[in-house]
Amino acid sequence: MGPKEIDWNKLTAIIAKHKKEKWGLIPLLQEIQELIGYIPPEAIEPVAEALNIYPSEVQGVVTFYSGFSLHPKGKAVVKVCRGTACHVKGSRSILKLMKKELDLEEGETSPDYQFTLETVACLGACFLAPTMMVNRDYFGKLSPTKVTTVLGQYSKDKGEQ
Amino acid sequence: MPVATVGLCVVEDEKTGRVMASCVTPVVSEMSVRTDTPRVKIHRKNILRLMIAEHPESCVVCSKGNRCQLRQLAAQLGIGETHLYPMPNYKTLEQANPFIIRDLSKCVLCGKCIRADHELVVVGAIDYNLRGFKSRPSTIHDRGLEHSSCTFCGTCLSMCPTGALSPNNPGYTATPERESFSICGFCGVGCGLAMGYTNSRIVEVNPANRPDTVNRATLCVRGHFAHDFLNTHERLLQPMIRQHTGSDENTMAPASWDAAIDVVAGRLLEIKSKNGSQSVAFLGSSKCTNEENYLFQKIARALLKTNNVDNGSYLSGRHVINLLEKRTNGLSRLSPLDWLEKAQAVFVLGADPGHSTPVVSYYLKRASKKGVPLVVADSIRTDLAAFSSAWLDVSTQSDFEGSYIELLNGLAALLYEKKAHDAHYIKQFTEGFKQYSDDLSTLDREQVSLATGIDVGVLNATAELLKGKKIAFVIGSGILQQRFGMQTMEAVINLSLMTGSLGSEGAGIHILAKENNQVGAQDMGAVPDALPGRQPLYNDSDRNRWEQFWQTEISPQSGLNMIQMIEAAEKGNLKGLYILGENPLRSLPQPDRVRKALAKLDFIVVQDILNTETVQIADVVLPGAAFSEKGGSFTNMEGRIQSFDPVVPPPGDAHPDWEILGSLAAKLGDPNQYASLGHIRDEIRIRVPMYKALDRHNHTAWVAVGDHRQSDKDTKKTKTMVSFSPVVPGDIDIGDELSTTDYPFTAIMVSVRYHCGSGTRTGCSDRILKLGLRGEIELSPQDGETLSIRDGDTVRVVSSSGAIKRQVRFNKRLRQGTISIPLAFNGNDAMNLLAMTQPDMPDSPGWKTCRVKLEKI
Repeated sequence: MGPKEIDWNKLTAIIAKHKKEKWGLIPLLQEIQELIGYIPPEAIEPVAEALNIYPSEVQGVVTFYSGFSLHPKGKAVVKVCRGTACHVKGSRSILKLMKKELDLEEGETSPDYQFTLETVACLGACFLAPTMMVNRDYFGKLSPTKVTTVLGQYSKDKGEQ
Repeated sequence: MPVATVGLCVVEDEKTGRVMASCVTPVVSEMSVRTDTPRVKIHRKNILRLMIAEHPESCVVCSKGNRCQLRQLAAQLGIGETHLYPMPNYKTLEQANPFIIRDLSKCVLCGKCIRADHELVVVGAIDYNLRGFKSRPSTIHDRGLEHSSCTFCGTCLSMCPTGALSPNNPGYTATPERESFSICGFCGVGCGLAMGYTNSRIVEVNPANRPDTVNRATLCVRGHFAHDFLNTHERLLQPMIRQHTGSDENTMAPASWDAAIDVVAGRLLEIKSKNGSQSVAFLGSSKCTNEENYLFQKIARALLKTNNVDNGSYLSGRHVINLLEKRTNGLSRLSPLDWLEKAQAVFVLGADPGHSTPVVSYYLKRASKKGVPLVVADSIRTDLAAFSSAWLDVSTQSDFEGSYIELLNGLAALLYEKKAHDAHYIKQFTEGFKQYSDDLSTLDREQVSLATGIDVGVLNATAELLKGKKIAFVIGSGILQQRFGMQTMEAVINLSLMTGSLGSEGAGIHILAKENNQVGAQDMGAVPDALPGRQPLYNDSDRNRWEQFWQTEISPQSGLNMIQMIEAAEKGNLKGLYILGENPLRSLPQPDRVRKALAKLDFIVVQDILNTETVQIADVVLPGAAFSEKGGSFTNMEGRIQSFDPVVPPPGDAHPDWEILGSLAAKLGDPNQYASLGHIRDEIRIRVPMYKALDRHNHTAWVAVGDHRQSDKDTKKTKTMVSFSPVVPGDIDIGDELSTTDYPFTAIMVSVRYHCGSGTRTGCSDRILKLGLRGEIELSPQDGETLSIRDGDTVRVVSSSGAIKRQVRFNKRLRQGTISIPLAFNGNDAMNLLAMTQPDMPDSPGWKTCRVKLEKI
């Protein structure tokens, strides 16, 4: 089990589409991240060449935004909210449970690339505290049982994409 | 553009009491700020306290010492203890490369290194990585500098306010005692240096960072780190005389200066009286000062009555430069590099300034970033190609050296077709356009494309790019040292005239000079065919003036040039040779042939600073001084005369070269006593109109230009008519061309930025040696496959003149059939491949390329 294979043809096509664009860096990086799930470090140099900027600049932008990652992530990226409201409602315990359930520390990805565990400062849904996001879906008013159920939905056995 | 980083520049608005960063707050009307209020001071102090809390407490061993700006500011603001919990942000110490130590624990994130890298030298090796507390300047993939695109110019290092970047100098790790200004002695850019010294030893070199220098805050790896040669044990420390004691004639015995000068003067006069004045020759130096070159050629002409005087710049395409000089009446002599950033378009031909003259490449890349269109034509893809608006990959077929001519003519024809010639300029300043334009209209575009290997579409686009613009040309060794250099230069001049460029600011013809004073040596008459001030020997009035002044007779016949000296030695016509600061056994083609020729001489004097190959065969060795150990002036490739004073005294019993030449002149009977540099300077200033601006107190002066010898940058005022030359086709028949089946590859000799010239000095620099470069030849992977050579294999490169052994490195950007051979490695052995003379082309033998074959070992 490894990370998703990189489709270099598609990647090259995306880069070619944005070639010589003046403000194309972030949209281009977003498209790559969308396609592959992360920005492969090997893509930095071709991106820089296409946009006529330095590779070090591209890397600087990638590592500045937490939305971009240079490492492959799991199929399900879990973001546990650690904002004030969620904290008051017990998000520390939620995170602890999550770490135990997934056997991951913050920022880690499971060896089978199924799960990545992250924390965020606030998801902006404080009325649902404690909350978390898995990929693009919100889950609010979490309880230990709900956490287990949600994780069950995304576990490998459930199969499809 | 100001950039806000550290926040120490806070000021207080008088009206609102707001504290704001002065560097990025725009000035508005009626604004009034206070810079030194108690509030502002508290803010500054707090910011600095936080910085110090994050800083490791290693000041005791930090090489930045008292130059650390963090420490200086702490002292000024009265911060001793921070009373904060120390949270040093430890990072791995990086010192794998021999030049720069990176200790990013000490980084204050001011961003100066990044801005130097992006905005001054335009390399882009580093940028901020990560965010917040973790943020640091970093290379791509956060690897060591040696694995990045870093060129080790060290500009970042000189700017770093703390010890985050420091020189990797095993010999000295503190603040130098003192610092003095000097001019770099490597390439022809002539950078201003701040040379740091302790106990008469140069221990650190930084850019002078003065507005009146070429380089300002930048330098290159040689200027910054290769000055280690000044302290090498290879330095010559005392005069030596060869003792002919019967059986063992190879002993060199130390001698006093008086004895050595006596022998030199005595032997030279003896040879002259026995064999005539044509039997002695003087090989001067493109590295020595103007004053020394003046004195040197005066000794040759006035005291030994011979025009046999030359200097090392002969090898760098002097015939081509002379042609330019003559055709433009010296208009192109003045070509400030500042002009490049103001140019409408720049055409770079056969030049790789990123290696040969790095500071010029910074100018070009900055110009490109500012939007100046750059057209780059070369047969090897250079670093500049990435910054160009048009990259013209000139083909390297068997007769490719003519391709540049075809290319220039082709572009001229396309521009003429687009009616993009400057009719007004042509009418006012030029002659012969009718014939030229008629020739152009007959050119076949397909043929141009075929000969140059460049697509018709690309040629068209390039012409479109240049249309209606004045063009600045940058000409490198790819033109100067090739066989058809003269014809190519004619084509350059034609294109320059046609576009109305020559003589305008921002549209000069810049000739890259490989040696620091090759321009000055020529200006001072250290050449066989001209007197000081570039006055030709054949011109009676010029010659008579000098004859009167020196009270001697000067022959109107040109003397021997560098190559002719070797040939004359071979034939036994030359008996005595005085070599000043040159190393012909390393810098000339066919070193074995040179060695045999020099062995036939009766007497060789070598005046040098290092124990070179040539010093080994000398009869008398005179130890001279390096540029930092003497005063004088150098003239750079722009026509800028730069004076400097000694920084440290010469080592041992070595003397400044002008002193040595002065005492020799006196011994040879010169009535003038050159007791000080001032005497020589006065003479030059009065007698050479081009150098009337030369002055010790004025560190930067400019050579006077044009017929009227005015020191006036608007050269158009001189009203000289320049004529077009006829169009020459590029497919010149060179008769004895070697068959491409026997020697299937075109080898191009290239310079690398870590070495200067033939590498005599840089080859003695500890840190350059520590880099462990092997000087691999480069080959396209396809050619490697055909010959079943793998990357890293060792091969024999064989030409009709000789052979060398080198490792191979694949370069997928090289055309098939082309290899590149770096100069200055293994005693500059690449010279074995080149022929010293070409029977058909005595003037331009072509030392840029040769035909070779590769043999796998």
